[in-house]
Amino acid sequence: MIDRLGTSLKDALKKLAGKTVVDRAAVEELVKDLQRALLQADVNVKLVMQISQAIKTRSLEEEPPKGMSVREHVLRIVYQELVRLVGSSGEVRLEPQRILMAGLQGSGKTTTTAKLARYFQRKGMKTAVICADTFRPGAYDQLSTLCGKINIACYGDPNQTDARIIVRDGLKTLGSVEVVIIDTQGRHALEDDLIQEIVDLNLLTRATHRWLVIDAALGQQARDQARRFHEAISIDGVIITKMDGTAKGGGALSAVSETQSGIVFIGSGETIEDLERFEPDSFISRLLGMGDLKALVERAQETVTDGEIDVNAMMRGKFTLRDMYKQLEALNKMGPLKQIMSMIPLGNVDLPGDVYDVTSAKMSRYRYIMDSMTGTELDDPSVLSSSRIQRIASGSGSSPEEVRELIKYYKNMKRALKGVRGAGGKFNMQRMMKRFGGM
Amino acid sequence: MFDGLRAKLQKIQGGLSQSIESASEKEAIPPTSSGGTEKNPTILGKVKVLLTDREFLVDEKDIREPLFELEMVLLENDVALPVTDEIISHIRKDLTGSRRKIGESVDSIVTSALRGALLDVLGEGFDLVSYLSSHEKPVKILFTGVNGTGKTTTVAKVGSFLKKNGFSVVIGAGDTFRAGALEQIDVHAQRLGIKIIQHQAGGDPSAVLYDTVQYAEAHHIDAVLADTAGRFHNRVNLMNQLDKIRRVMKPDLIVYVDEAVAGNDAVVRAHEFEKAVGADAVVLTKADMDPKGGAAISIAHTIGKPLMFLGIGQGYDDLVPFSPDQVVGDLLAEEAR
Repeated sequence: MIDRLGTSLKDALKKLAGKTVVDRAAVEELVKDLQRALLQADVNVKLVMQISQAIKTRSLEEEPPKGMSVREHVLRIVYQELVRLVGSSGEVRLEPQRILMAGLQGSGKTTTTAKLARYFQRKGMKTAVICADTFRPGAYDQLSTLCGKINIACYGDPNQTDARIIVRDGLKTLGSVEVVIIDTQGRHALEDDLIQEIVDLNLLTRATHRWLVIDAALGQQARDQARRFHEAISIDGVIITKMDGTAKGGGALSAVSETQSGIVFIGSGETIEDLERFEPDSFISRLLGMGDLKALVERAQETVTDGEIDVNAMMRGKFTLRDMYKQLEALNKMGPLKQIMSMIPLGNVDLPGDVYDVTSAKMSRYRYIMDSMTGTELDDPSVLSSSRIQRIASGSGSSPEEVRELIKYYKNMKRALKGVRGAGGKFNMQRMMKRFGGM
Repeated sequence: MFDGLRAKLQKIQGGLSQSIESASEKEAIPPTSSGGTEKNPTILGKVKVLLTDREFLVDEKDIREPLFELEMVLLENDVALPVTDEIISHIRKDLTGSRRKIGESVDSIVTSALRGALLDVLGEGFDLVSYLSSHEKPVKILFTGVNGTGKTTTVAKVGSFLKKNGFSVVIGAGDTFRAGALEQIDVHAQRLGIKIIQHQAGGDPSAVLYDTVQYAEAHHIDAVLADTAGRFHNRVNLMNQLDKIRRVMKPDLIVYVDEAVAGNDAVVRAHEFEKAVGADAVVLTKADMDPKGGAAISIAHTIGKPLMFLGIGQGYDDLVPFSPDQVVGDLLAEEAR
């Protein structure tokens, strides 16, 4: 669904290519596709309407700068508006500070608290946490277990029912620690006594930062919740969690606009290291389900064929296991294969879905298997006889079936690429690049 | 939870009856501001005017704009895009091409189209008590879902619910992964006086749950509630683990737990869970946070499985059985009678 939206967005942009004046109909279509993509990503309806209006007006009214094509002009406006929507990354200083965590139940505050502690610890700050969740059973055990693993002091008292007392005592006990992170109980905007509690905690701790933790899957509700939290303790940063799922995190944007703050971190996994600083560009590509928009905007003429993947060779049908290995290596950096392919100018050709239908776990197994192959085998997979397969299997700790599966996958991939070549008709890479201009 | 949506839909009806009274005046539609809540009377006003004043035959073109606005209302209420599309097309199908007499009540036309569409996506409810009574004991119930949706809390609540209804219950602590999860469920079980079977943290959840089933069989327990660790649907190994749990404990019911505040992703993950391990019923948690309830509609629709319970608070009793007829009736009920 999302990918389809990404594609239709591209189609709409394509219609602008080669035009000398901005075409109102094409812009409107583009804006409509953009709206759907953003709504699908849980961005607040009102924000979506604002941005689409802005893009429409600016595209039609602003004069494209000299030397910039209409398409680039519109693309640049879309990008600028999206950046404005997403906001900049919130500031994180490495200095003594107190951070108060706030958020709905189950949004991942406790896990994020531990991750943050780890982050500051790695930056060389003396860090400690306080567990002020007096409600949920096991909350203290959870935090102290997580912190125990990374040697972070964790203050808490499962028998105390007043969070204020815990925090007051905690701050006293921890004394000279540079960074103190206070994990609180999950609460939502309609629970007045709990909102009062966090107001008190904020006053008590004189917190430097009050960060709102938002589940990436949170929908339109994010706006109201964020507003209430903001009214109570004036939020100055947003953390999006669970970005390792398929949720796009658009709900968090409502929180950002509501609190006038920025996204500080993104939680993207279950281990304690899975916390990243926020990067607007990759967030936008995720929102829209399309390749790196910024790259598209910045690069106008240069082709995408850098050393990573030799597109031309691939297109000539010379796709070897080596190329596939490079792809798999790039996978961690660039995201799934589908995304890589979306950045390569193949235009609108659909590759068969099953080509992508390879899971991340499998991908890494494939890499191990290929590590056990010789150079000859990588360059020319046709030499793979059953005795070679046997050798590769035992070398990589896999089974011959898996090696065969890999070869099958490779063949499918190769065939798919050939199909692309066929579909292009009289194929000319340069021309195609020019035509799609990097789409 | 449906308050927000209800208020809006009721405004529709309010606007409707008003405009019916002044049916002869074409200017019945007040020029409203762009505020979301103000939109609805206009939509319905427009629909109504189109239906009674101008048209015998309802034309798709005529209702396109009001339907677009209704679409926005649904989206604003967290009804996912594909589901919204479906509701809209359902209504469109119902309304277009149908011949209406001028005198016929527009109210009933629109309401019945809306009711049809909503009931269609909400499906039927699920009565756990009668299911338990009519099936061989122990009835094994497996709870699944992504991280942080409230599985453990729901297990405790359902345990309390079943106990109140006179069933004996045992809980299997299948979340061996998350730090503090064992302590959490243990405290719940103690407070509720429910037997709990657990292994060490980091153990194999399948083994824990297998033991739980064994225990239930040996002690003639009515219901086994199997908690599991939250997992994302795109993590293959975790989904495989869930599949293994299913093979080992052979649950009678798989209950998918998600939160009412989730947006569009609710649809994606509900679908993936349904695909991977199946789901027989859905529990929607945190419904008290969301006065709108659009996610309920989305999830129920996507998964095509009945909603069993709504979680509406942090207490053990904050769990209510879900009944679609009642909800739709509530949504479309005329203003406070």
